[in-house]
Amino acid sequence: MSDGLVVKGLKVVYGGVTALDGVDITVAPGAFVSVLGANGAGKTTLVRSITSLLYLHKGRARAGTIELDGSPILNKKSRVIVKAGVAQVPEGRKLFPNLTVEENLLCGAATRTDSAEIHQSLSEVLELFPQLERMRAQTAGLLSGGEQQMVAVGRALMSRPSLLICDELSLGLAPKIVHQLFELLTEINTERGTSVLVIEQNARLALQHAKQAYVLELGQVLLQGSAEQLRDDPMVQELYLGGGGDARAAYAAIERPPRRKRTRRPQ
Amino acid sequence: MTGTLAPDAGPPRMTLKQLARHKMTPFAIAIVTPFLLGSIELGFRWQPYAAVVILVVVARLAWTSTPSGEQSYRQDMALWRLPSERSWAAVTVFALLTLPFMFASGFDPPMDFPWATWFTITNTILIFAMGAAAFNLLVGYTGQISLAHVAFLVLGSITGATVGIQWSGTFWLAVPAAGIAGAIIGGIVGLPALRLRGLYLLLATLGVHFVMLLAWREYLLRNFGFVGIRFDKPTIPSWLHWLPFINPDENGEFLINSQFRWYWVIMPITVVTLLFMVNVIRTREGRAFAAVRERDVSASLLGVNVARSKLLAFALSSAIVSMSGAMGSYYLGARGEDSFNINLVLNYAVIIVVGGFSSIQGAIFGSVFFWALPEWFKWAREEVWIIKDIDFLSDHPSEIDLAIKGILVVIILVYKPEGLTGVWKDVKSIPSRLSGRREL
Amino acid sequence: MIVASNYLDFSVNLQLIVGGLALGSIYAIVALGFVLVYKSTDVLNLAHGEFLMLGAYFSVTILVTQQLNFFLGLVIVLAVMAGFGLFIHYGIMRRMVGQSFFAIVLATIGIATIIRAVLLIFYGPAERGRMKVLPQGNFRLSGANIKYVDIIVFLVVALCVLLFFVFFKYTRLGLHIRAVADDLEASAAMGIDPDRVYAMTWATALAMAGLGGLLFGHVTAAIDQNLAAIGLRAFPAAVIGGLSSLGGAIIGGLIVGVIEQLAGGHIGTKWREPVAFGVLFLVLLVRPTGIWGRKDLERV
Repeated sequence: MSDGLVVKGLKVVYGGVTALDGVDITVAPGAFVSVLGANGAGKTTLVRSITSLLYLHKGRARAGTIELDGSPILNKKSRVIVKAGVAQVPEGRKLFPNLTVEENLLCGAATRTDSAEIHQSLSEVLELFPQLERMRAQTAGLLSGGEQQMVAVGRALMSRPSLLICDELSLGLAPKIVHQLFELLTEINTERGTSVLVIEQNARLALQHAKQAYVLELGQVLLQGSAEQLRDDPMVQELYLGGGGDARAAYAAIERPPRRKRTRRPQ
Repeated sequence: MTGTLAPDAGPPRMTLKQLARHKMTPFAIAIVTPFLLGSIELGFRWQPYAAVVILVVVARLAWTSTPSGEQSYRQDMALWRLPSERSWAAVTVFALLTLPFMFASGFDPPMDFPWATWFTITNTILIFAMGAAAFNLLVGYTGQISLAHVAFLVLGSITGATVGIQWSGTFWLAVPAAGIAGAIIGGIVGLPALRLRGLYLLLATLGVHFVMLLAWREYLLRNFGFVGIRFDKPTIPSWLHWLPFINPDENGEFLINSQFRWYWVIMPITVVTLLFMVNVIRTREGRAFAAVRERDVSASLLGVNVARSKLLAFALSSAIVSMSGAMGSYYLGARGEDSFNINLVLNYAVIIVVGGFSSIQGAIFGSVFFWALPEWFKWAREEVWIIKDIDFLSDHPSEIDLAIKGILVVIILVYKPEGLTGVWKDVKSIPSRLSGRREL
Repeated sequence: MIVASNYLDFSVNLQLIVGGLALGSIYAIVALGFVLVYKSTDVLNLAHGEFLMLGAYFSVTILVTQQLNFFLGLVIVLAVMAGFGLFIHYGIMRRMVGQSFFAIVLATIGIATIIRAVLLIFYGPAERGRMKVLPQGNFRLSGANIKYVDIIVFLVVALCVLLFFVFFKYTRLGLHIRAVADDLEASAAMGIDPDRVYAMTWATALAMAGLGGLLFGHVTAAIDQNLAAIGLRAFPAAVIGGLSSLGGAIIGGLIVGVIEQLAGGHIGTKWREPVAFGVLFLVLLVRPTGIWGRKDLERV
C-alpha cells in the first residue's frame, strides 16, 4: 500500500545509543493506529523521526524509509512535512506559554497561506472546544493541564492535517478529560477521515479507541495487529493491561526478534 | 596484555632495550644537552643545529612508543602515565632549557628570520600563557563565565606597584603579594557567580572590569602622576651572588635587564604555575571544578560543595592572573593610563579560543600562536616574495592583524571548536591511525 | 558637558534629563535589538556596540559624504544593516548550533573585532565630527536649552519602537518570532522554520542598531572607535529591564540614559560608565533577573 504513512526498517541513533532498531509501521488513510510501549521503548523517537525533529535532540536516522502517500519524508524539513499534512500534538503539550490561546492556535496554521480560511478553521476549532472560546485571549501558560491539551489538539487541527499524531495525550490528565479527548479523536477519525496515530502508555485506553496497534519494546516492534487481537493477547494483558492469564508462559512463547549482543568497542 | 588495572602489580617487566627506550633516553638527553651547550653564552654556531637534530630524534622516540597494558595504581596516579607522554614532557623540558641559548647565540637564519625579536616574544608568550591558562581554568575547565580577566591584570599591576615600589618590596615580594590580592578579590568577584547565571554573570564581571579600570586611573593619578608607573628592574640580592651562574656586573649588582636573564626568571615561575594548575585538575577540588562545569545542580546532589568550588576557582584563577599581571608590568618596565583596555579582553579570548578550551595546553598553544602570528605576518609582509608586493597589506598592518584575529576566532569556533589542541590531537594520532595501532 | 554646581537647579536638570532621554532612547533601541536576539536565539551578542558603530560610520558615508536625501539614506542604511544581519545568521550563527554559550559569546567578540578592523581600514583612526544632517539649533523652555536634535531623536526612536511592537504583536512573522522564542521545538513541530525566524531576528536587530548609530552620530561629540564602547553601555539597559522583556529593555535604556547624563553632568563625565554599571549591580543584587525579567528554570 503506498498510501498513508509507511515506515520501513527505521533505525535511529542518539550518538552511540540505538533508539529504534528496524521498525515497520503503517498508518493507512483513515486508520486509527496506536503505538504502545513502556518508557524508553522508542515511541517518541518514532514521532520525532516522522516529523524531522531528531536533530533537536542530536538524533540521527541511520537507515530505513518513511513515506507519506508514496513520497519520502524522512529527514525532509519539518515545514515540508507539516505542509504535506502531518500534524503533531507533542508530548507534554508544548504550548507557547507566553502567547494567548488564540495565538497558539494560529501558530498551528503556520504553513497555511490562505488567510481567510485560517480564520474559518479557527472558528471550527473553537466550536469543537467550546470552553476555549471563553479563553481566547488568555495566556496559554496559565491554563490547566486539560485546557492546555485541548489547545494543543486544536492547534494541530489548524493545519487541516491528513494525519494527526498524538504523543502521550493522557499524560498527567484527569481520566474524564482524557476520555473526552479520545472520543473527539474517534470523531475526527470517523467523520473527517483523518488518520490518527496515537502514542500511548495507557494501553487500555488506546486499545479501546484504536483499530490497530503496535507494541514497541527497546526500539523494535514486538507485536502488531488489530486492537481486539492485542486486547486478548495474554502478554499484552500482563505487561500493559495489568493482569490476567498465564503471562510467563505466553511471554516465553512469543517469537521475539533476536537482540544483538552489545559488545563494547574500545574508543 | 589485557589492560586491566591490577593494584600494585609492580612496574611492568620489559627488556633492557625497551627500558632504555622508554624511560631513560629522553630524560638523559634532556638533562645532558643543556650542559653540553654551555651555561655561558659562548656563541658556537653548530649548537642550534645540533639541538634541532636531537629534538627530532627524541620526538621520533616519543612518537613510536607503545602503550603499556598493566598499570599499577601508582602509575595511574603519576603525572605522565604513558611513556609517550613522558617523552613529550622531556622534549618540552629540553626545549625550554635550550631555547634561550639558541636565541642568545645570534646565528644567522635563512631569510633573515629575526631570532632576536623572538626572544622578547618568547618571554611575552610565557607570561601570557600563565594568565591564559588561569583564564582557561576558570572559564573552560570550571565553566564559569567571566570577563573580569583584565581587571585582575590591573589588580596585579596595582599591587605590584604598591608592594614593589611604594613599599620597597621589589619584584620578589610584589608578585606573591599580587597573588594574594588576586585571591582575595577573586573570591569576592566570585560571589556574584553563586547567584547569577549566563548573561547576568557576564555583565557583572564586565562591570568589575570597568570599575577596576577606573580604580587604575585613580591610583595612577594619585600616586604617580600622569607619567605612569616605572617598574624598576628586579635584582638578585647579594646574598645569592655565590651561585655559579650569577656573575655580578661592574657595580656589584645583578640586574635582570636582558631578555636572557628575564627568561630565567619568567620561565620557572610560569612552568611551576602551569604544573601547579595541571596538578590542581588532578586533585579532588579539580574534579569538583569539572563537575561544576558539567552540571552544577547535579554536582551538588553528589555532595560537591558547589559554592566552595566556584569561589575556589575564581580565587585561584584570579591569583594567578594577578601574578602574571605583576610580572608583566615589571617585564614591560612601565605602565600608563592606556595600558589596559577592552582589547586585552579580546586578546585573551583569542588565545583560549584558538588554543582550545578547557586545557592548559590550549592556553600555551594559543599564546604561542597569538604572539607569533603578527611577527610571522610582519616577516612575511617584508620578506616573503609574493606577499611583500601587496600594498594593501603593508598599508594597514595593525588593522589587518586585528581583522585576522577576529576572523580566526570566528572560523575556529565555527569549524574547529577544539582549536589548536584539537589539531594537535589529530596530528598526534596520525602515526597510529596510519599503522592501524591503537594508542591508549 | 556642563559641570553644574547646583544639583537642584531645575533648568540644568531639565536639560540633562532631555539629553538623557535622547541618549536613553538610543540605548533603548539598541537594547531592544540586543534583547530581541537574546530572547529569540539565546545568543549574547557582544558585538552590538560595533554594529552601532558600523551604523554610524556607514551613515556618515551615505548622508554626509554622499549627501543623499535623509530619508533615502535612512532606508539604505537600514536595508544594508538588515542584509548584514541575514549574513550573520546564515553565515555564522547557523553553523554554531550546539556550541556552548560562552563559545558563541566569544564568536561575537570575534565579529566585533572584524568590524572594528574593517572600519579602521576604511575610515582611519581619526575621528569624524558630529553629523549635522538633522536640524540643529535649540529652543528655550523654563530656562533650559533644549536641542531640537534631542527631541527628534527621541521621537524617531519612539516611532520605530511603536512600529516594531505593532510588527511584533500583530503580524504573522512577529507571531512566529515570539513562538520560536517561547519554544523552539514546538515551533518546529508546527512547521515554522526556525532558520528563517532567526535570520529575520538578526536582520531586525541590526537594522535597529544601524538606526541607533545614525541617530547617535547626531548626538555624540565625535564619531570614532569609541562608539563601540557606547554600544556596550546598552547592555546594562537591557539587563536592568530584564532580559526576557522587550518593554523592559526600552525602559531600562531610558533609565540608564537619564542616570548617565545626570551623573555625568553633576559628578563628571568619567563617572558615566561606572555609574551605569553600578546601577546595574544594584539592580541585579536586588532582582537578579532584572526589574521585569522572568526567572529561568534550570532543569537537570
